[in-house]
Amino acid sequence: MDGLASLYPLLAVVAGALVVLLLEVFIKKEKRDYLGYVSLAFLAAAAYLTVSSWNRELTYFQGTLSLDNLAIFLTLLFSLAVALVILLSLKYIGQQDANHGEIFALLLLALSGLMIMTSSSDLLVIYLGLEVLSISSYALAGLKRRDEKSGEAALKYFLLGSFASAFLVLGLAFLFGAARSTFLPEIIVHFGTAAAPSIMGFFGIALILVGFGFKVAVVPFHMWTPDVYEGAPTPVTAFFSVGPKAAGFVVLLRVFMNFWDTVPSSSVIFWALWAISALTMVVGNLVALRQTNIKRILAYSSIAHAGYLLVAILARDYSSLVFYLAAYLFMNIGAFAAVIGLSKTGTEYLELDDFAGIGFRYPWIGGTLTIFLLSLAGFPPTAGFLAKFYVFSAAVRAGLVPLVVIGVLANLVSVFYYLRIVVYMYMREPGREVDIEIENPALFLVLFLCLYGVLQLGIFPGNILIVIKQAIASLPVF
Amino acid sequence: MSFPILSFVTFFPVAGAVLLIFVPKEKTNLHRYLALAFTLITLVASLTLYFHFDGAVADPQFVEKSGWLGYGINYHLGVDGISLWLVLLTTFLLPIAVLSSWTSIQKRVKEYLIFMLLLESGIIGVFVSLNLFLFYVFWEAMLIPMYFLIGVWGGPRRIYATLKFVLMTMFGSLLMLVAIFALYSFYYKATGTYSLEIFDFYKLILNPQVQGWLFLGFALAFAIKVPMFPFHTWLPDAHVEAPTAASVILAAVLLKMGTYGFLRFALPLFPDALERFLPLLSILALIGIIYGGLMALIQKDIKSLVAYSSVSHMGLIMLAVFSLNTEGVEGAIYQMLNHGLSTGALFLIVGILYERAHTRLIKDFGGVSSQMPVFSAFFLVCLLSAVGLPGLNGFVGEILCLFGIFKTSQLQAILAVSTVILAAAYLLWMYQRVMHGPITNEKIRSFKDINKRELGYLVPIIIMMFWMGIYPQPFLRKMDASVSRLLDRVHNRERIFLRETSQTTSLKSDRAAEAEVDQTAKKILAELEEKR
Repeated sequence: MDGLASLYPLLAVVAGALVVLLLEVFIKKEKRDYLGYVSLAFLAAAAYLTVSSWNRELTYFQGTLSLDNLAIFLTLLFSLAVALVILLSLKYIGQQDANHGEIFALLLLALSGLMIMTSSSDLLVIYLGLEVLSISSYALAGLKRRDEKSGEAALKYFLLGSFASAFLVLGLAFLFGAARSTFLPEIIVHFGTAAAPSIMGFFGIALILVGFGFKVAVVPFHMWTPDVYEGAPTPVTAFFSVGPKAAGFVVLLRVFMNFWDTVPSSSVIFWALWAISALTMVVGNLVALRQTNIKRILAYSSIAHAGYLLVAILARDYSSLVFYLAAYLFMNIGAFAAVIGLSKTGTEYLELDDFAGIGFRYPWIGGTLTIFLLSLAGFPPTAGFLAKFYVFSAAVRAGLVPLVVIGVLANLVSVFYYLRIVVYMYMREPGREVDIEIENPALFLVLFLCLYGVLQLGIFPGNILIVIKQAIASLPVF
Repeated sequence: MSFPILSFVTFFPVAGAVLLIFVPKEKTNLHRYLALAFTLITLVASLTLYFHFDGAVADPQFVEKSGWLGYGINYHLGVDGISLWLVLLTTFLLPIAVLSSWTSIQKRVKEYLIFMLLLESGIIGVFVSLNLFLFYVFWEAMLIPMYFLIGVWGGPRRIYATLKFVLMTMFGSLLMLVAIFALYSFYYKATGTYSLEIFDFYKLILNPQVQGWLFLGFALAFAIKVPMFPFHTWLPDAHVEAPTAASVILAAVLLKMGTYGFLRFALPLFPDALERFLPLLSILALIGIIYGGLMALIQKDIKSLVAYSSVSHMGLIMLAVFSLNTEGVEGAIYQMLNHGLSTGALFLIVGILYERAHTRLIKDFGGVSSQMPVFSAFFLVCLLSAVGLPGLNGFVGEILCLFGIFKTSQLQAILAVSTVILAAAYLLWMYQRVMHGPITNEKIRSFKDINKRELGYLVPIIIMMFWMGIYPQPFLRKMDASVSRLLDRVHNRERIFLRETSQTTSLKSDRAAEAEVDQTAKKILAELEEKR
């Protein structure tokens, strides 16, 4: 169905961004919180508009923008992620010298980029969304203007991001040359029907993979991740680790959904992805072992998780991929929320030594962080376990046993470094004095929402799983 | 029975843990009494399992089944003659564990007890799950409380010990998870439906090559847990560092999860592979017996001596399991309970000594019996139970195990007897050095004999030791049906397969129908043969 309604959520978000930008001029610095609340209101509106078009298969712009069920689900997920990040930023920006109203506007703009990326099957439109997302992200990374690390993060992200975009555009050009279209279904059909595999087309796909490899941070395109994650303001890091990664994987999902079966000589790409996935899981987890900064640990952990997500793509079990993304959202934002909780004005406690003994001192932050870490490590009965269970069982069913063995062993390594944080929190005596400002109701709201999400998805994921399956089933197969 | 008794037993401790979260930290005694009450109520509830359990039925009883996540993942609980005893052992020991840490744990009592209660739920869950997914969830989830118990309340090297414990266990269980996935997908390919029910997998006939790999996946996880030589290295570390109560639970129940896993999964699921690996496994078990015994002889620390004695005893249990006959398997299960009681009791006794002396080195003791006469009697009984003195529980179990082993291999039986001999040597020698002789350490003169609380938790164990030693019938008879069904599954797999696949049609009684049933069964077998 063709209808302007498919644009409403996007329009709501962009309008929200503009309103917030305008309001910022008129609102005093001390009352920046209101901007956050306004953004949340717009997010709620966008979420409502999204939900109301469930099952309506709305499209616009000659089908280049289609609000199918998958896009709706992910839009909701992203809106939730951005809402959580906004809640986390409310106090943080005042504390950490990043008190600029732009953060809310930029987050909303980034969200609009994510929405465009996930609700299109046209590579050019996807690229458009990606750029909207990226440019807001570069600015977000450098939001702590007086902090050198933040500036470094922004610059690094900008340079490597543009580099990746260049790959992407070049790949697009090749693909267009081969298939005479930027529309994914047409490209796939072209590959499926072409008598001889066209080198140009495969080259294009490879370049696009490199481009997205940068965006979702898989090895060997991950180098920027730890520095950017470390330098960026922590709520923004939480957003980076969830938003762009998820959107990137959804694009990969749309690319590969019909790719494996229709394209005769897809095995080259398959084995390349296989190797990338194995490398990502192993390298991400091994390097995380040596880190002492919690943001860097979580950065490498997010790299490793990209490896697990690739397994789902290779196993062709896309509902488990989406489920994993949902679970990952809750556990990762939750972990970052707990990290943000451990801060006071002007200081963030990010070294592992700072975590010594805080588990018993701040039982709620310590306890929830422990649960998020256990979930990231894949312990039952949390969402992380169920997500890994679905991904790996699908992979075994698809015959990828060696990859799964590599995956679970890499997971074992990850258990070590996640538990190391827990060791510091509960089993070491405090080294240096850590005093934090506890009064932050928004933060605790986020912690409990994430805790709820992790447990709900881990124990009774029933309805959400059904929704995801429906969304995946409604995607076109040809 | 309509009341979900198994769910109650499994999750009641969790309810206790949740309640404890909301009790203020300062009221340590209230915490202790609450935890004790919750574990005691769980014990009472589990006793109804014992009274209502029908020993003549081989199938799981008190079954609760409901859908959970779909795709074969169900909430399915039940106990049979094998798991019943392990559940009872767990619920029996938990109040004792809580009592034993009444005064020895002074720091962070609240969290300690919360983890204790969670641990109890996790362990019971492992024993009562009949769905592989559920089993795995409990199997992994139970690691977390243990990780904290050792890591927070343990000795000086606790962090190393607890990480080693978690990582080694997880190494095995993650590979087991891959094997579970493989079973899951084989079942799906064979029947077109998803299932993770253990009893569905029993019907699955796999080709020997595949069986070999899957068996290795499962066996490794369980061998690490038991622990069998050479995967035992985490055990002495974990035991030495763990607080007393955690040691008790670890030795008495956690290790049994490994043997239970062998009985429930590794043996009946992969009989062909079992046949192939049996010699290797038996040799490992034998090495464990002798190596553990010899290591125990030279230990300086009483606790690590008991830990190595565990390695040796668990070796005997595994060897008896691998004998694959009724005496052996029943003896193994019986010995699992005995080992739980006697080793648990020995750890409690080491704990009592440690609370007074703040040392566990054998050389620091000597002549304790003159100061603590009552205690020395209890110590002696527990020790003799571990050695296997007739009249005490250890004897019955060991003799059954050895009978079973003797039936399959006389040489193995002869070597296996060394468990008993070595146990007598290292335990009695240790007893002599600790309890008798002149008092070398002046501190010992100030030792007080055991108090009422310590008496309170040692007496039930002693009663059980005598009961199980003198009148083992009620215990063994409740195992019979389940054990023979298990052995049937191992030895006569194909026949059971025929019987179970034609269950729906075999209700007809005339000969023609029976012939028809045979026909269809044969056809299914032939098809399966082709699939191989």
